[in-house]
Amino acid sequence: MTRFAAGARVRARCADPEGHTRLPRYARGHVGEVLEIRGTWQLPDQAVRGVSQREPVYAVRFPAAELWGSGSHSVILDMWESYLEEAP
Amino acid sequence: MGGQTGFGPIAADDDGQFFHADWEARVYAVVRTLQRRGVINKEFDNLRDAIERIPPAEYLSLSYYERWLRATEMLLAEKGLLADD
Amino acid sequence: MSGGHGELPVAARVRRLEERLIAAGLVTDDELDEVLAQVFASAAPANGARMVARAWTDPAYRDRLLADGNAAAAELGFGAGSHGYLLKVVENTASVHNMIVCTLCSCYPTALLGPSPSWYKSFAYRSRAVREPRGVLAEFGLELPDDTEIRVWDANSETRYLVLPQRPEAADGMDENALASLVTSNGLIGTAVR
Repeated sequence: MTRFAAGARVRARCADPEGHTRLPRYARGHVGEVLEIRGTWQLPDQAVRGVSQREPVYAVRFPAAELWGSGSHSVILDMWESYLEEAP
Repeated sequence: MGGQTGFGPIAADDDGQFFHADWEARVYAVVRTLQRRGVINKEFDNLRDAIERIPPAEYLSLSYYERWLRATEMLLAEKGLLADD
Repeated sequence: MSGGHGELPVAARVRRLEERLIAAGLVTDDELDEVLAQVFASAAPANGARMVARAWTDPAYRDRLLADGNAAAAELGFGAGSHGYLLKVVENTASVHNMIVCTLCSCYPTALLGPSPSWYKSFAYRSRAVREPRGVLAEFGLELPDDTEIRVWDANSETRYLVLPQRPEAADGMDENALASLVTSNGLIGTAVR
């Protein structure tokens, strides 16, 4: 069961975790749209500690203006479910 | 490093070669072999984690395969897999 | 090439590491040689170019390629590397241009695109591609119309990308081999038209 559907607006969490994460700084706190569901994969943040925690992963598209304040392109990133929260 | 500024223009030329010194090829082979053995995990996460733990000033001073080498040395030392010199 | 950690020059440091790994029973010389032989034998941009040329000549293959990159690569006998990543193929059109980066490290489908270019691994490309792709593309000599939508795909270890460039208009009547020869590794990353 996945928490977000394609088309959902999501916000990347502002967390600044200790150690490895696939949530890049430039996306934190920003709102994007779920393009598609990639699958259910191991969370790398935990895998480096030897813990297997599987989560849905979403391709999320962020407009450049949202990330950088300007620009017309978009950036697409894979986001593990725990990196995301609902956006209004 | 996405979005950081100040790294200047991109040297867009490339010679299409995998490696630019024999030692780079050896580092690559060591990493892939350790990956087969499970010392480095399949998804590469623990090596990537080690690469990110290289102190930032040093990270920026190292070439790509020097970072692989440094991270592999760190990981092997942390796991205690090599006898002391 | 030199410098870095420790007092030994880097080549000597690598030799020392190999010796210690062999002594510890973690690798053998044969295994190291085999890994290298395998990568040199199997990984080439010609593989990705072949997939593109097939997609340009066979619309059903194009559809399969966009729906399931891994299966479409396997159809032509190409594997997606030893660690089984998801291969996503993204298609350029008259209005959309795709480009690939890995901001975190330098993830890249080597088996299909060959050796990743030095610039792909550079701090400059990794930092700038997501922020100002037009400026980056201009440095590759690629100027896109203002109304072209640019999509930058930030790859990772699990998902890797290949760009399906637009078929050249003058390609009518060309066979698959001739078409494949038009495709460059920059085209497959999105820093060239094809």
